[in-house]
Amino acid sequence: MDSQHLNPSSLKSRFTARFLRALIKINAQKPISSSSPRDIFQRYQRIKVAADKSMAYSVRSRRTWSRATLWKLRSRSRRRLASSGRRSSIKTRTTTTTTTTTTSTNHRAAIVEKTSHEKENKEDHVGLAVQAEELRELVPGGESMDLCNLLDETAHYIKCLTTQVQVMKKIANLYSLE
Amino acid sequence: MESNAGTLETRSNKTALEREEVAALESLQFTDEIHCLMSAPATDNASSFTALLELPAPQAVQLIHSPDSAKLIAAPAPNVEDFKGGFHFPSNGGLIERAARFSVFAGEGNNKSDSPEATSNNSSANLQKAVKSEPAETDSSQPLISDPTVENRGIKRKDREKVKGQTKKSKTTVKESSDDAEKLPYVHVRARRGQATDSHSLAERARREKINARMKLLQELVPGCNKISGTALVLDEIINHVQSLQRQVEFLSMRLAAVSPRVDFNFDSVFTAE
Repeated sequence: MDSQHLNPSSLKSRFTARFLRALIKINAQKPISSSSPRDIFQRYQRIKVAADKSMAYSVRSRRTWSRATLWKLRSRSRRRLASSGRRSSIKTRTTTTTTTTTTSTNHRAAIVEKTSHEKENKEDHVGLAVQAEELRELVPGGESMDLCNLLDETAHYIKCLTTQVQVMKKIANLYSLE
Repeated sequence: MESNAGTLETRSNKTALEREEVAALESLQFTDEIHCLMSAPATDNASSFTALLELPAPQAVQLIHSPDSAKLIAAPAPNVEDFKGGFHFPSNGGLIERAARFSVFAGEGNNKSDSPEATSNNSSANLQKAVKSEPAETDSSQPLISDPTVENRGIKRKDREKVKGQTKKSKTTVKESSDDAEKLPYVHVRARRGQATDSHSLAERARREKINARMKLLQELVPGCNKISGTALVLDEIINHVQSLQRQVEFLSMRLAAVSPRVDFNFDSVFTAE
């Protein structure tokens, strides 16, 4: 059982390495000894973002949901920079990276499409429209996909989530042991 | 305050995690039993498994890992048995090595590469066992044996689409390939006897078959979905599972934020523990 998990290029090990690096960085930022609940909350948010980010980076751009997650994270950081007043840098960033622009146009189109989709209901399985909508909300990037691809993405997403949960559980256990 | 938060988390976690832990425990028991069987010396009397088969130990081990002998082993955990029947389609590297956490299946996945013949026979046997709607044809065995390298999942899908009776039209849809190798190769659809053959209904049928195939995959991924029949309920179960997984990630990250490592933590211990 142990020998199988040491594959250095598996999703699990890639995610573990990235996540651990991010964790160490986060823990180094503020000493934990006397942290208020607010600090803990802030750290929790950072850790959550780091977990999603490292998982999305481990999958690269091979999957729609990973691309959507990365785009969301990047746009969120861009918005934060905008609020602090650095607008020029954002403009250059949006024009240079082609992948992000395509995903951004996809997203805008998807949001428009979603509202029309609810009315037209061109799906083959009309009875499953409700669940399909729910699934689209859950899976990142799921708004612009038909049911077929959505199920595909869901399968991969579930696999990655279970890996994430497994690794984080082990790390948490290790933390609590020390 | 920290302990309260911790207990709250664990309590709300428990329902979601409990199932997984129970399943993991059961799989562990199963592997323990296999180890017991393997380590039992061959000179034991009729009580040992190998003696029953009158085979040397390594062959018996292979049989243990092959799906046919699953019936012989009195499995302590019925869940594992059900999964075994369900898991053997993508019997090889595809789904199991990557998706399954259960060590039993990962162990079986390794043995498959050793005996391709045995696997093709076994997979044909499995297909005959578990294909509900279409009975196994004589044709089905041929593509299996001729293509041992193709993933069994793809073979299964081709067989499903073939129908006994006349074939009027054939239509191949675009082959989908992804680097991550959850490969769903092209779906070969043929019109069934007495069904409309215009392009619209064919396309719809192809689409439906694709969706059903993916639903089967998802059913295998999500625990406890095998028994549910009907796409709507299965989708509900899938949605619940995704939600619970996302919540688990949140709880775990909260836990990680609250607990601090006293000592500087070394990577080796993490990697060897996994």
